[in-house]
Amino acid sequence: MPSTVTIVAPERNALHQRLDMLDAGVVDRDARVRALDRFFTMPSGREKPGRFWRVDFEKIVPDAEAVASAGAQIDVETNDGAVVLCNLATAVREHPQLLARAFGTTAVAETKFGALTKALLTDGVFAYIPADHACDEPIAIRYHAAAGAAVFPWIVVLAERGARATVVERLTADAGAFVCGAVEIVSAENADVTYAALQHADDDARVIFSRAARPGRDARIAWALADIGAQLAAQDVRISIEEPGADAHLATVFFPRAAQHVDFIGTLEHRAGEATSETIVKSAARDRGQARFLGNIRIAPHAQGSDARLRDDALLLSPNAHIDSVPALEIGANDVKAYHGATVGALDADQIFYMESRGIERDAAERMIALGFFEPAIEHFPTSALRDDLRAALAAKLS
Amino acid sequence: MPELGLRITNLRCRVAGNEILKGIDLTVEPGRVHALMGPNGSGKSTLAFSLTGHPQYDVSGSVSLDGEDLLSLNPDKRARAGLFLSFQYPAAIPGVKVANFLHAARQAEKPGDPLPPGKFRALLLEKMDQLGIDPSFMGRYLNDGFSGGEKKRLEMLQLAVLAPKYAIMDETDSGLDIDALKDVGNSIGALRATGEGSNTGFLIITHYPRILQYIVPDVVHVMIDGRIVKTGGHDLAHRIEREGYDKIREEAGAIA
Repeated sequence: MPSTVTIVAPERNALHQRLDMLDAGVVDRDARVRALDRFFTMPSGREKPGRFWRVDFEKIVPDAEAVASAGAQIDVETNDGAVVLCNLATAVREHPQLLARAFGTTAVAETKFGALTKALLTDGVFAYIPADHACDEPIAIRYHAAAGAAVFPWIVVLAERGARATVVERLTADAGAFVCGAVEIVSAENADVTYAALQHADDDARVIFSRAARPGRDARIAWALADIGAQLAAQDVRISIEEPGADAHLATVFFPRAAQHVDFIGTLEHRAGEATSETIVKSAARDRGQARFLGNIRIAPHAQGSDARLRDDALLLSPNAHIDSVPALEIGANDVKAYHGATVGALDADQIFYMESRGIERDAAERMIALGFFEPAIEHFPTSALRDDLRAALAAKLS
Repeated sequence: MPELGLRITNLRCRVAGNEILKGIDLTVEPGRVHALMGPNGSGKSTLAFSLTGHPQYDVSGSVSLDGEDLLSLNPDKRARAGLFLSFQYPAAIPGVKVANFLHAARQAEKPGDPLPPGKFRALLLEKMDQLGIDPSFMGRYLNDGFSGGEKKRLEMLQLAVLAPKYAIMDETDSGLDIDALKDVGNSIGALRATGEGSNTGFLIITHYPRILQYIVPDVVHVMIDGRIVKTGGHDLAHRIEREGYDKIREEAGAIA
């Protein structure tokens, strides 16, 4: 290890001291220290864009006093006896080998905030779906962060060969909460995992998530992610295709209003060929809401036969609303299909007039059109209850 | 009793400073079919948008619908007063399903007769069946990915569901093959055969006389260069079919 002299900031010191109080069962103290060092030394990759953006990710540090396992409530639910669903502490005791095949094996801990989650991990969930087992009902995870708490959940999903499962995560947080979480999905050949998350935190909370999936050969993986609440909602979502034949989907919906900020990074890594990926982003902003989307598609030189699509549409509903959209395609192979399309714009006057000409008032017409705008992404959410909740949450933001 | 009819008096319209409509006088009576014919660029579609309140048009003169002044109303209120426009180019609205849109329109236009979703669905299915429209239309996004014929068919469905007092059909025949044209003619005929549709007054805007084989007008107007230069019976349409617009244009020029 190269030796470096660093000036230890008070925040860093305070967090280091905090590590002693955290449970060593899932992540031992040394690993926590290393992860915390990575957090403090690694750049976020989320540089400040434009003159509107007020968030500086390099300066985000949780308050050490607020770090607490007791600051959150996790409820998990499945009626499926074949599935293992438990908290991480239990998984470490009862299913250590299964957990080890997935926990920490994805790209999440390679990001700045993923490292922070690992360093301060407070609790989490392990879900295991055995081979060739199809879950009829979604696995439900409800996570609530208390006011002012800083919490670091880690959710791990391991799906064996041919397994099928849907996970629905619903996150709420009270004012002042700081949630910095990670989700990992590891699947084997022919597995089919859909993971949906609806973040509906208080508008004064901060919610940062790192999510990474590693699908197996010919496996299907789908993320469906919605950010409704929070003063700052940030996600770094990756799918690393390392086996051929995977079918990967990433759909996201976000809609900052008032002074909300959303920062979404979606990365599709095609490291094996003959795989397809589809990214669909529908975002809107109103009032002084700000968002940015960074969409990476990377196709490695040997990943021939890859088919990657990225569709990103942003709707600006107020003059001071702002959405930056930055698709970035790096294509190393020559026998691939890659498509990307992006739009940023206001509501269409012809659409509004058409609806008005059918007796629908202008406000109602605008709401219908804006809600419809999200619909192609909403369709990717797995249950009708979740879709309806999402529609209702979006409608409330439009009124 | 208010004076019935869609009454257009000295209607003028400017678009980007140019006068497109130069004083239109025309009255469509309940239950009657008027055809408005004219070459491209004569101002026919501008008239349709002026009547329905498109925000880009600077309109003067007066228009009343069964006695209610229209020009002071927003487009949605004009629709609720009973005016319908079948668009030449209907807007596609992704994410908004045909059934939901039409239900919202029906509720907006008939607030005194609200239909719960189940009853509305039954009504919609009935109308779709009458018009030979596949029920799968209900779940499709409004005009999104529709063929030209499907868009016109959806306009006809809306006409049937909303049963307006006055309907303006803007170039409904454009881009349709003969079978689709027949369907449109039959759709209008079917609406006129219903109780609530029998009093609907029509203003059928068209470039070609062929649609008038399927819906026979009571009155035919010819518009050239922003003015109605000739009004007559159905035979006027036949004359245009034989002679085109040049002769009428010459006659109009001679008068002017």
